[in-house]
Amino acid sequence: MSKKHIQLIGVTKKYQDNIVVKDVSFEIADDEFFILLGPSGCGKSTTLRMIAGLEEMTEGKIIADQKDISIEDPKDRNMSFVFQNYALYPHMNVQKNLSYSLKLRKIPQIEISKKIEWVSNLLKINELLERKPSQLSGGQRQRVALGRSLVRDPIAFLLDEPLSNLDAQLRVEMRQELILLQKKLSKTFIYVTHDQVEAMTMASRICVMNQGEIIQIGAPQEVYDQPESIFVAKFLANPVNNILKTSIQKKLDKIYLETLGISIVNKKLKDRSEIYFSIRPENLFMTSPDNNESIKANIVQIENHGHELLISCQIPNSSQLLYFRSNKDSKISIGSKINIGFDIEDLLFFDILTERIIK
Amino acid sequence: MNNIQFNDRRFGFFFVAPAVIVLSIVILTPIVIAIVTSFYDYTLIDRSLNKFIGLKNYFNSISSAKFLHSSIVTISFVFLVVLFEFLIGFLIAILLNQVEKFRNIYYFILLIPLLINPVVVGLIWRMFLHPQLGILNYVISLIGVDPVNWLGDPQNAFITIIFVDIWHQVSFMIILLLAGLASIPEEPYEAARVDGANGFQQFRDITLTYMRPVIIITLLIRLIFALKTYDLIYIMTKGGPGDATDLISYYIYRSAFIGLDLGQAASMSVILLIIVCIIIYPLFNYMNRADE
Repeated sequence: MSKKHIQLIGVTKKYQDNIVVKDVSFEIADDEFFILLGPSGCGKSTTLRMIAGLEEMTEGKIIADQKDISIEDPKDRNMSFVFQNYALYPHMNVQKNLSYSLKLRKIPQIEISKKIEWVSNLLKINELLERKPSQLSGGQRQRVALGRSLVRDPIAFLLDEPLSNLDAQLRVEMRQELILLQKKLSKTFIYVTHDQVEAMTMASRICVMNQGEIIQIGAPQEVYDQPESIFVAKFLANPVNNILKTSIQKKLDKIYLETLGISIVNKKLKDRSEIYFSIRPENLFMTSPDNNESIKANIVQIENHGHELLISCQIPNSSQLLYFRSNKDSKISIGSKINIGFDIEDLLFFDILTERIIK
Repeated sequence: MNNIQFNDRRFGFFFVAPAVIVLSIVILTPIVIAIVTSFYDYTLIDRSLNKFIGLKNYFNSISSAKFLHSSIVTISFVFLVVLFEFLIGFLIAILLNQVEKFRNIYYFILLIPLLINPVVVGLIWRMFLHPQLGILNYVISLIGVDPVNWLGDPQNAFITIIFVDIWHQVSFMIILLLAGLASIPEEPYEAARVDGANGFQQFRDITLTYMRPVIIITLLIRLIFALKTYDLIYIMTKGGPGDATDLISYYIYRSAFIGLDLGQAASMSVILLIIVCIIIYPLFNYMNRADE
C-alpha cells in the first residue's frame, strides 16, 4: 500500500440504543478505489456519510491527509460527494451546478471556466451546460453530479451508490468510465454499493460490511476466493453460491463428508461432527459416472441465461439444491440423471456455529 | 376538439355549473351592481331620482383629500403589517422547522389566533388595551411604566392596530412558510455543505431559492387581505382617533352607510377592486405557470 491517506479508527454510530456502525477501522491509500459493499442497512452509507461529515460519529476518529477531521464541518473537510439521487441544485443550470463549489471558494472566474471546460469534455456534457437538471436524463444527471465533484480537487471522492438509479446498459458504461477516470486521476475513491458485480469489477479493495460491522477487507479476487465467512461467500456470488451443511465421519486418516459422499484428507476437520461447506457453481461440472469423486444428481430446474445455463439439481444426501453452470448447448433436460464432478481444492469449509472459515 | 373531448368538457361543465351559478349570484351580481351604482348620483330615496353622472364620482374620489389620506394610511398599514408578518413569520417558521418534538402542539397554538374571528380578536384586544381596565396597562404599571392610551392617541392607535393585526395574522405566514420549508428536500443542503457552503450561503442558495414561489404567493395573498382590512378597524377604532386609522375599506363603509353617499362609495370600491385585480394578476400568472 502506498501512502496512508484516509484512516478510520474505531468509528461507531449509534442512534439511541441502535448501533448502526460498530467499531469500523480501515486505512485507504491515496490512489485506491475502495468499495464498501454490503446489503441495505449494513451501515455502509452511514460510514461514508461520516467520512464526509454529513453524519456525526458517536465514537472514533477519522484522519485524512495526516489531519484529524473527526469533528470538522463538511465544508472544511474538502471531500466531494456524489449522491445516489444526484442532489443537483434544481434551480441552477448545469454550468452553475458545476461551478458552485468553486465560486464558494472564491476561485477566479478564468480558472473556473477552465475547470468546467475540462470536466465537461471529460464527461461529454459540453452540450448540456445551459440546461436545468429537470431537462436532463438520468444518465446525464449522473454525469453532472460526477462532474460537480470532479471540478474540485478533493482529498477523496465519496460516491454513494451513484449508479443504482441507472438502467442496466448505462450502468455498465458508467462503470467502465468510472474505472478509467479513477485510473486517470489516480485519486482516492470511496464507493458504496450493494452490487457485488460493481464491487468486483471496480474495486482495488473491497470492504464487506454486515450489520454495522466489517466482515472482510481485501482485493476483489481475494475476497471472492477466500471468503472469511458464509456471509461473504453468499454475498459475493453471481447469482448464487452453493453452501450446504454436512455431517462428518472419521474414517482412518480420512474424513467422510456425508452430503457429498466422498472422503478427503483434512486435519482441521477431524474433531468436528458437522460443518458447512461451499463450492461455487462454476467449479462444478458434469462428468462420467465412473469418476470416483462425483455425485449423482437429478436435474430439477434449468435457467437459460442466454450465454449459459444455470442448472439446479437434487443430490441424494441433502434437501438443498446444488447449482452449477453449463454450456448453453448442453443437451440436458429436467429430470435427467447426471454425475457432477468437482475439484476438492475448490471446497471451502465453515464452522457450524460461528459460520467463519476453517483454515 | 374531437367528440370524446367535447363530451368530457360538457361533463365537466355540468359539475362546475352549480358553483358557477351560486358564485355569480352572490359575488358577480353585487360587483356589477356596485359598478353600475358608481356611475350614478345615487339617492336612496327613489329610483327615479338617481341621475347618471358618468365618471364624476371617480373624479371626486380621486381628488378628495380624505380618500387620498386613507389611501396613504392603507398603504403604510399594508406595507408595515405584511413586512413584519413576513419577517417574524419566516423567522418563526425556520425555528419551528428544526423542532422535532411536540411539533403538532406548536402548530395548534399558532393556529389559535387564525381560528378566531377578526371581530372577536378586536373585542379581546380592546379589552386588553383599555386605558383604565386593560390588563396591558396593569402589567406595565407593575414595572413602573405610566399607563399608555393605546387606542386613544392618533400615533399610538396606528401602531397598536398594526400590532394587533400582526398578532392575528402572523400565524398565516408561519403555517404557509413552514409548509414550504418542510417540503425542501435534505439532499441539496447536504450537497451544498459538501460543496463548502456555510450556513448563510445555504440559506441564500438553497432555502431562499426553493422558497421563492411560496414566499411570492404568501406575500401576495397577505397583501390582498391586508388591503381589505375592515373588521379590526370597525371594532377597535372606527377609523379614529380623528382619521388616524381610517383604512380605505373602512372609509368606503363610512361614506356609504354613514355619509349615505352610495355612488361615491361605489366608485371607491371599484377603484379598490381594480387595484386588487392588478395585484392578483401576477399571482394568477405565477400559479398558472407553476401548474405547467
